[in-house]
Amino acid sequence: MTGEKIIQTIAAFIHQILGAAGLSGIIFIIDPVLCAVAMFGFISLFVMFLVWMERKVSAHMQSRIGPNRVGIFGLLQTVADAVKLTIKEDVKPIHRDVIPYTIAPILAFVATFAGMVVIPFDKGIVVQDLNIGLLYIIAITSFTVIAILSAGWSSNNKFALLGGFRSAAQIVSYEVPLVLSLVPIIMTTGTLRLGGIVDYQAGHRWFIFSQQAIAFFIFITAATAEANRAPFDIPEAESELIGGFHTEYSGVKFAMFFLGEYIAVIVSSAVAVTVFLGGWLPLPFLGFLHLPGFVWFMAKLVFVIYLIMAFRWTFPRLRVDQLMDFGWKVLIPIAILNVLATGFVILLLEGGV
Amino acid sequence: MGAIFQYFKNILVGFWNLILGLSVTTKYFLSMKTNTQQYPEEKLPLPARSRSMIKLIYDGDKDQFNCVACMMCAKACPNSCIKLEGVRDAGGKRRMTTFKLDFSTCIFCGYCVEACGFDALTFVSEEYENSVYKRGSLLQDEQAMKWVRPAHLAPKPEEPAKVETSAPAAAGA
Repeated sequence: MTGEKIIQTIAAFIHQILGAAGLSGIIFIIDPVLCAVAMFGFISLFVMFLVWMERKVSAHMQSRIGPNRVGIFGLLQTVADAVKLTIKEDVKPIHRDVIPYTIAPILAFVATFAGMVVIPFDKGIVVQDLNIGLLYIIAITSFTVIAILSAGWSSNNKFALLGGFRSAAQIVSYEVPLVLSLVPIIMTTGTLRLGGIVDYQAGHRWFIFSQQAIAFFIFITAATAEANRAPFDIPEAESELIGGFHTEYSGVKFAMFFLGEYIAVIVSSAVAVTVFLGGWLPLPFLGFLHLPGFVWFMAKLVFVIYLIMAFRWTFPRLRVDQLMDFGWKVLIPIAILNVLATGFVILLLEGGV
Repeated sequence: MGAIFQYFKNILVGFWNLILGLSVTTKYFLSMKTNTQQYPEEKLPLPARSRSMIKLIYDGDKDQFNCVACMMCAKACPNSCIKLEGVRDAGGKRRMTTFKLDFSTCIFCGYCVEACGFDALTFVSEEYENSVYKRGSLLQDEQAMKWVRPAHLAPKPEEPAKVETSAPAAAGA
């Protein structure tokens, strides 16, 4: 039974129940709400797993053990942390700018969470396979810069403000190579639909095994910078800015920033898996296993997230000017060259001109 | 042309260095080797001479403490935290009757152990969890500080010094 069949069976079952209850008129409301709830539950659990995984990965990279007290292998440690964060006192600075201060964590969470809408976990398992999916993700996840900037501004704290400004400079700079690294894929496949890009890779090679491997590395680098993670974590550089833009946040609001950061990692890794690593397709030499597509997808997703975690625990933090140099003088020229080269190859192969 | 070549060379070298760094951390991650000692379950064996706790040596064979209440330790103590009393027994030998050491003021300087000429006070290494729930528990008497020296820690009898007879002659020659 494929993943698509399972989802269709569940959907039919729910529709049948609603029809029996005489609620078939509001199915168009119930369906998105159910999708959102299911996605939120999945994402929350996955983020908890990722926090645990990050702590374990960093621990073993430094010959430590990591969390091992709460639950088996310390798996419940993040649950305990989440409970602690939610019941914590919400300390607010007196001279804050109330409206942006309140909206910022919500926006930071929602902007990245909305990106999950178009991620295809398997053939057919996708909340809404938009025909402009890639553009939608790039556009909606860019909202985090507004959240971070308003958080920094409204906290009435100079460290938070510095963090917000740094974040604005960084995210705006790295948005360019991020988009430019995806342009050759769109040129080759001729579609912005994420499902369509995976279908193209089913017929051809995965993009990471082709010339677009360069684009993959540019994308991963820019995505790490977009998610404000080390080595590009200058907006919250602990040793320089205390906590950066979330210095003045505590309790649930801090938890939402934290959640937003991890969801940004998940979304950008999911895009990398879908666009470059063949999404739900099985590994070329392991196709005989007949595992469901979402198992392959999750395995690749965890691998790419491991890469991003390894970046964090291996590389030292960049200085601000080095960060800008790296973005504008290395990533963008390489990405533009890649776009030109891809266009040239397409022209040659199709015999255009 | 050379500048462009240098530009791409820098990028490739930097990329290779990043991969080298990642390989190191990934190697450590996959090896799963840990150096952590999980304290309450695994206790660290301290060196035999570590100054963890002061104990009164009890001689099991003679069924008495080695202490003769000579008061040298109490005099050596910079904080005056040692109080002891002794009596002269039937054979005319001095014996310690009460010994009190207030660990709330003791700084573990070791002067008392150095001053002791009768092998009666010593530092032990195996007992290092010295925290207590009540301040009064820090005032320990001779029963609390009683410690029988295990056989493997017994002091080795010193070799008698050799009387060198021919050495001065050899040196003279």
